[in-house]
Amino acid sequence: MPEEAVKEIKVDRKHRKIGNIAPELADRCYTCGTCAGGCPATGLVPGWDPRKAIRAIVLGMEQEVIDSKWPWVCTLCGRCQYQCPMGIQLMRTFRACRTARERDKVPGPIHKGTMMNLQRGNNLGIPRDDFLFLLAELGVEMENDEEQPTPGFYVPVDKEGANIIVTINSKEPFGEPDDMKFWWKIFYAAKEDWTVSSTNWEGVNWGLFSGDDESMKEQVGRVIENARRLKAKTILYPE
Amino acid sequence: MVSIFDLLAEYIKEGRIKLNTHKFHETYTVHDPCNYVRKSQISFGDNYGELSRWVAQQCIDPSLYREMCEDYMNNLCCGAGGGAWAMPYDKERWAYGSMKADQIKNTGAEIVIAPCHNCRDQIMKDLPKHCDMGTNYKETLYLWELVSLCLDFEPWNEAEIEAGHAARDAQFERDGVELDEEE
Repeated sequence: MPEEAVKEIKVDRKHRKIGNIAPELADRCYTCGTCAGGCPATGLVPGWDPRKAIRAIVLGMEQEVIDSKWPWVCTLCGRCQYQCPMGIQLMRTFRACRTARERDKVPGPIHKGTMMNLQRGNNLGIPRDDFLFLLAELGVEMENDEEQPTPGFYVPVDKEGANIIVTINSKEPFGEPDDMKFWWKIFYAAKEDWTVSSTNWEGVNWGLFSGDDESMKEQVGRVIENARRLKAKTILYPE
Repeated sequence: MVSIFDLLAEYIKEGRIKLNTHKFHETYTVHDPCNYVRKSQISFGDNYGELSRWVAQQCIDPSLYREMCEDYMNNLCCGAGGGAWAMPYDKERWAYGSMKADQIKNTGAEIVIAPCHNCRDQIMKDLPKHCDMGTNYKETLYLWELVSLCLDFEPWNEAEIEAGHAARDAQFERDGVELDEEE
């Protein structure tokens, strides 16, 4: 072998962004391939699979993983992490790769939606008045439904002291409003004492997926804050 | 904090809701959302694989149930998890989803129960269009949608209706909600 082809790989563990989260994240890997073999995303991004991504991080090539599509095509399903014989936290590692991506390079709407949520209380920016009107209107519609009327029903908003406070997936008021009635009908039948907050009611936490820990915590904090403000006993998060 | 599985099971076990088990006569299977099963086990040491199947089987005769994955801790993701439903990688999502479609096809089930918003969208809206779901597949329902459709309930009594209307009117006034006259 000609001498110039032999390159020493220097691993700079001190300055790694991802591998330093916890030492066990990548360095224990024996490259057995359990992760890659069981991963449904193996083969979907040329050049990458979970084992190679972990290997790249071990060898100090973490920026290449961060810049690749891999951490985003991976659905963070956790099969690899669940089966890894060395206990490497692959799912957590790939999410950390998402965190390390510059925010304006996060694919799709999940970062913009997260920012929208911080500003307006839900990922799609639905205004409070529109939301309240929609709930009121749908409530009346459900009450007077021809096939299965629910006399006395309405959507309790900002009701104090309820047993259950429920979050809402913004796609429903936005595009599939009738789907909210599935839960409402169950509450009606069970005679549940429940409520919805008029603000910050979003149940979809895109910060979890965009790798934005601060926004994720902020949103969870708001859900808890709503429950405290309204003195609700239990939070139901129907995601 | 309560999960949808705990709450639905509580309503059923305590008799707070009654279910009509003769509403559906189709074969059905239950998908395991990663967040409620595997990742719940990893993060909290417990999961909803069993309870999810139990709730579904309170709605439709268990003899019509078709298992998708005996080992539910290792069931496959729907293919749209981790935000992938919203991401611009459609081809990858469909290729990933084809493995879920295969599982569904192999069960021979007509109805797929999805206890997660995201999984339901992928299985209901994308997989039938872009993957082979087999000839038996008919529809996908949220777990709570299935429960809701099977509900067997009596309308509230006069006093309860009156109390509901009074609370509603007070709330509408407080929030400035004005609806057109009810027809």
